[in-house]
Amino acid sequence: MYGQGLLKGLSISIRHFFKKKVTEMYPEQKPNLPKRSRGWFELTPDKCTACGLCVNACPNGIISIESYKDENNKRKLVQYRMLMESCIFCGFCVEACPQDALYNTQAFEQTVFFREDLNRILYKAEPQSVQAERSEA
Amino acid sequence: MVLFLVWVDMFRQWLVGIGIPALPAEILIKTILVLIVIIFVLTNLIVLVWLERKFAAFYADRVGPNRLGPAGFLQFPVDIVKMLGKEDIIPGNVDRPVFKIASICAFLTAIMGWAVIPLGKGMILEDLNVGLLYFIAIGSTGTIAFVMAGFASNNKYALLGGMRTAAQMISYEIPLAFSLLGIVMITGSLSLTEIVDAQKNVWFVFPQILAFFAYFVCSIAETNRGPFDLAEGEQELVAGYFVEYSGIRYALFMVAEYTHLVAVSAIAAVVFLGGWNAPFGLTFIPGFIWMMLKIYLMIFLFMWVRWTFVRVKVEHLMHIGWKFLIPLTLFNIMITGIGVYVYRMIAG
Amino acid sequence: MNDIRTQEMNLNFGPQHPSTHGVYRGVFTMQGEYVTKCVNHIGYLHRGIEKLAESRTYTQFIPYNGRLDYVSGMLNEEAYVRAVEKLMGISDQIPERAEYIRVIMVELQRIASHLVFYSSMALDMAGFTPWTYGFRERDTILDLFEMAAGSRMMPNYMRFGGVAADLNEEFMPALRKLLDIMPKCMEEYHGILTGNEIFQARTKGVAPLSREKALIYGISGPSARASGIDYDLRRDEPYGIYDRFKFNVPVRQTGDTFDRYIVRMDEMAESVKILEQAYRELPEGPVLAKVPKIIKPPAGEVYHRIEHSKGHLGFHIVSDGTAKPYRLRICSPCFVNVAVFEEMAVGLHLQDAVVAFASLDIVLGEIDR
Repeated sequence: MYGQGLLKGLSISIRHFFKKKVTEMYPEQKPNLPKRSRGWFELTPDKCTACGLCVNACPNGIISIESYKDENNKRKLVQYRMLMESCIFCGFCVEACPQDALYNTQAFEQTVFFREDLNRILYKAEPQSVQAERSEA
Repeated sequence: MVLFLVWVDMFRQWLVGIGIPALPAEILIKTILVLIVIIFVLTNLIVLVWLERKFAAFYADRVGPNRLGPAGFLQFPVDIVKMLGKEDIIPGNVDRPVFKIASICAFLTAIMGWAVIPLGKGMILEDLNVGLLYFIAIGSTGTIAFVMAGFASNNKYALLGGMRTAAQMISYEIPLAFSLLGIVMITGSLSLTEIVDAQKNVWFVFPQILAFFAYFVCSIAETNRGPFDLAEGEQELVAGYFVEYSGIRYALFMVAEYTHLVAVSAIAAVVFLGGWNAPFGLTFIPGFIWMMLKIYLMIFLFMWVRWTFVRVKVEHLMHIGWKFLIPLTLFNIMITGIGVYVYRMIAG
Repeated sequence: MNDIRTQEMNLNFGPQHPSTHGVYRGVFTMQGEYVTKCVNHIGYLHRGIEKLAESRTYTQFIPYNGRLDYVSGMLNEEAYVRAVEKLMGISDQIPERAEYIRVIMVELQRIASHLVFYSSMALDMAGFTPWTYGFRERDTILDLFEMAAGSRMMPNYMRFGGVAADLNEEFMPALRKLLDIMPKCMEEYHGILTGNEIFQARTKGVAPLSREKALIYGISGPSARASGIDYDLRRDEPYGIYDRFKFNVPVRQTGDTFDRYIVRMDEMAESVKILEQAYRELPEGPVLAKVPKIIKPPAGEVYHRIEHSKGHLGFHIVSDGTAKPYRLRICSPCFVNVAVFEEMAVGLHLQDAVVAFASLDIVLGEIDR
């Protein structure tokens, strides 16, 4: 019979009419992202040794670090800045960090109103403590 | 409902009683009835657009609009407010008078068909004794509005859409008229109220199943819906004949399309599904409610077909219209003629 | 009738159109509604990826591959990574588990890419419902990618010598669930679109591409297999561990739109078969070989191509011994496939031209790079 395919199509769509819908009601229901999902980045400043491996690993060169050497000739971090407007979220910086100081969260709702707010400063040391450490040297 | 005629009578007597002469009172009553029909149609429109969007979503495992109002019901009124606030952009080299009145013409021809549709016993604007013929004739005049829109917009896509629509609507009017001829042969009258009265015992969808199928396909083509929406084929001719329209002019085209859809559903409910007659003798529910249920059943069928099937090609559209539906409806007329003759012979 | 003047009109199948798969511009010369001449204009999405490669190290270039054909990220990365591994000479040191994981990811990506084809082809004909059905399964596959690689569309998962990280424990049960529902979903796709008489009337006999013409133009991939060219790089020039899997290669003879559609649907079923075999045979072990931190391949050049979902994707890399490539050339299959549209569109109705274009399955990101 000629119209058989048409009737089968009709039966498939009417079955879906009564089934449960797959839509997730955002923003009431936030998605449960897996742990490896690459959202925005956060830094644990105590673990960071300012080695600069993440700076070399980034394809676009968005990370910049300011550091100084204290009295034991150990590097200490002063400022860690990422220009997020050029970030491609590849995750090479997280992979390159030997101390696991830089990690990615699953946050993805990070819209801002002004372009300057995109350039995040992930860590900025207090000027007094830096001065104090330098003067103790 | 005969109750409706009683109310109209009471209103007429009150008007004459406060001193208005007979003729202006009649004109006043008819004007109020026309306004009621227009308001009814526009109310239906709000429900229909909501239904269309929810159905489109439900067939596709989605939820559809659900933020504004209960279950997203206020989405369409808010969209109308948005469209009313839009700037009225008329492109440079269009044919200005034709461009401006095309959308109004579309709505006008769609709403003129509502003059003969009965929504219940006695609830009819004008019980013409050629009601069915009037409806088919008014439906044919709807073509001109789309051709006007396609021709006046200074755009090649719109021209293609307008020409396609003209060909499509003209091709499908013949099978539409033929499919209703079988009903006319059985009842012997073109008046819609007499057709409903003739269906007291059995609805005409059962003896005239071929005509019902042909009418269904033709009305999809007449209203530019579903698998036959070549004129507004978004995927090829980015919105076809109304590509240059924006704001309220665009909304008027949508209103015209849905008005025409409810009108053909109502005619199908009246002619094939028994009008305001109650099935299985459940007469405690008023006829108006049955009529609305049947109209919405037909609309559900139209929407089911639209959201499942892909669009046909223009050549196949013409083939289906001329080479398949016309022979089918002629065959139906022949069978009906034989059936009526045999019935008359048997019944003496 | 002799004094009616007709004129051919130029129609822009423009960069802004709902049915071009990206920013493609085709200038049609039309007689009424039939196309008499078609000229392709591409380049609207050119981003200079090949030049960009000359200022990035080999490892830093891996994320950019996901942006080429943006619906098949893993396939592009595999092509690049295998080309550089061939240049470095470590193609046989890749661990077994890494090879199997690569096959799983690549076949999942092939299914996802063909699902985009299915949904877009249905949408080009106003079938809104099949479109959402196709994207429902693609979403499940992209969720699997997010579990393993961290990102849905630009995975950045392949590394030289293996893959970036091992699969975690939630990946395998999710993959099993997907493989269980795929046969039922394929039935649904065929039921609502393939069996539909309107769809068949619109695609059968439309824009046939003969075998000789396909060979002259150099078409590759499913479009070539639909015209009768029985060549699949996974079976005929196997790379990696593809010689261990048993799968058929669907080939059809006529080369019209319907055949190109059916070849891709059958390829999806074959990918499910490969996935079942890989799921069963996945061994334990490391996922990354011992490679130096800074990749400095020896000076020379290499060309390697894989069976991408759109055809043969090849990478021609010239290295001068430093950490950055001297020249990286991407031989994209869609660039070759779209050229045949100029000849295919002549004589077609506008509706058929749109459907024929959809059946070539091109993605502009790969054409313009």
